[in-house]
Amino acid sequence: MPPALDLFWKAMMARTWPRVAWMFRHRTWLIQETLLPMLSVIALANVYRWMQAPVEYVGIVILGAAMTAFWLNVLWSLGAHLYWERDSGNLELYILCPAPMMGILAGMALGGLTMTVVRATAIVLTGVVLFDVPLNPSSWWLLGSIFGLTMIALYGLGMMFASVFLLFGREAWHTVNLLQEPVYLMTGMNFPLTALEKMTHWAIPAAALLIPLTAGMDAMRQVLFRSEGFLDLWYEVPLLAVMSVAFILLAKRFLDVLERKAKEEGKLTVKWQ
Amino acid sequence: MRETLRTLSWSTWLGWQIESNWADLRLFVLYLIVKPVCGSMMLVCMFYAAKYATGSRVPVEYLPYIFVSNACYGLVGMVMFGMSNVVISDRESYRMLKYVFISPAQFQAYFVGRGLARAAEGFMGAVITISTGLLIPDIRAAVNLESFDPGWLAVFLLLGSVMLWACGMMLASAVLNMSRSGQFLSEGIAGVVYFLSGVVFPISALPTALQYVGLSLPTTYWLEGMRRAITGRAPANSPLAQSPLAKWETGELALMLLATTVALVAVSQLFYRYSLRKAWRNGKIEEATGM
Repeated sequence: MPPALDLFWKAMMARTWPRVAWMFRHRTWLIQETLLPMLSVIALANVYRWMQAPVEYVGIVILGAAMTAFWLNVLWSLGAHLYWERDSGNLELYILCPAPMMGILAGMALGGLTMTVVRATAIVLTGVVLFDVPLNPSSWWLLGSIFGLTMIALYGLGMMFASVFLLFGREAWHTVNLLQEPVYLMTGMNFPLTALEKMTHWAIPAAALLIPLTAGMDAMRQVLFRSEGFLDLWYEVPLLAVMSVAFILLAKRFLDVLERKAKEEGKLTVKWQ
Repeated sequence: MRETLRTLSWSTWLGWQIESNWADLRLFVLYLIVKPVCGSMMLVCMFYAAKYATGSRVPVEYLPYIFVSNACYGLVGMVMFGMSNVVISDRESYRMLKYVFISPAQFQAYFVGRGLARAAEGFMGAVITISTGLLIPDIRAAVNLESFDPGWLAVFLLLGSVMLWACGMMLASAVLNMSRSGQFLSEGIAGVVYFLSGVVFPISALPTALQYVGLSLPTTYWLEGMRRAITGRAPANSPLAQSPLAKWETGELALMLLATTVALVAVSQLFYRYSLRKAWRNGKIEEATGM
């Protein structure tokens, strides 16, 4: 293996390790990450049941809750994480060491993804058992591929956020907060995008397609529930592929530029700002 | 008393600065508006999605129900999460909690002040959200504006403030003796309240055993009282009128809220004293876990 690739691999695995090890050392997370979020999911699923909506709509809530777990992980454990790392004094060590920052970010993403898969699986299983949501996708392979592409695009976006947040102080916390509810609304996290189109204008869900969650969830719903999507599946899959490549390339570019800018502005070691 | 008020005013000011001075005023106002409004709009979209799917069989009065409930629930999340988060941010991030503890400031008043800053933020969010909701024709049509009762609204807001203070103090007290997992506690409690207090569906939709749990929570009475004060009672023929609280008079709701709040305040004060003593003995007030 070429030395640069070897170093990237080692840095990625080294940063993945604490996140995976934490899962086994601090087991209360199982309750925090699975049982507690289920309460609000059950509440939202009950909203559709109370309105006597078709069972697919409960499925949309369950899928949305599982994908929310990934979005929150991208925001808090990847996007804003370099900000926390700076506060705890690790960021300067990352910059000092020869490991590539992209490798460290990829490790954060991989570790976060592993942990979140457990949360998402628990949400889906509980939802399916409690609400009897039918799981009958037109193709498991297609579903898996769409999910994989969505994750690559999503975590690529998170890596981009991480570099942008290098320049942030306390606004990192609030920005992450601000990227929750509006994104849930725009991406149609708990309702079909076609409803948003009917209520507003096609341009709003079309613009939301730039968030990988939107295209990913819309495509997964078409495969899972064989329902009509906002855009045809065969447009959404290539869109996800393009976003996956673009976000990772942009993350690398942003990281180079913003790391340099943060050094120039002396923001790499500023704490409690 | 003067010392307490001084601590309260300074910590409220500090809390407000922490919440607001990270951005210029325009961006902060946008932040105040966008977050709660989008949260409530998501429920509106769910309502319309179900309406399209069921051929308009969803009762129209359900829209203001979820909209107002969700706006009021934002206040619950803000105050409860805000007060418990003070412990985590001041201890782990700013590392100032130990200095506040050894200063002459009243420790509990400090938490209350910080909670008040969050309450102000939450209150503005709720007012903005409800006002925005009135711009939606279906909500405006379903809200019975003649039923708006400022007197009861003031009563429920006052009792609700005391209830939220007690809940926030209980959470902050518990977090004093927790480390990393503390911030998840408020998320969990918020989830319990969201699920059991009839925020987004009437508690009659819950299994009977859970309805009793919901009826033991003061937040259930508070939310019902707030909804009634703002939008009036649900029509008698509506499925919303099947709720166990639908037959209660508003005065009875207020009395029940008062009784549960008094009990909650007593428990929260005992728990606060116990937790503070335990945290002090175990060195938790200055313990930073690097989180």
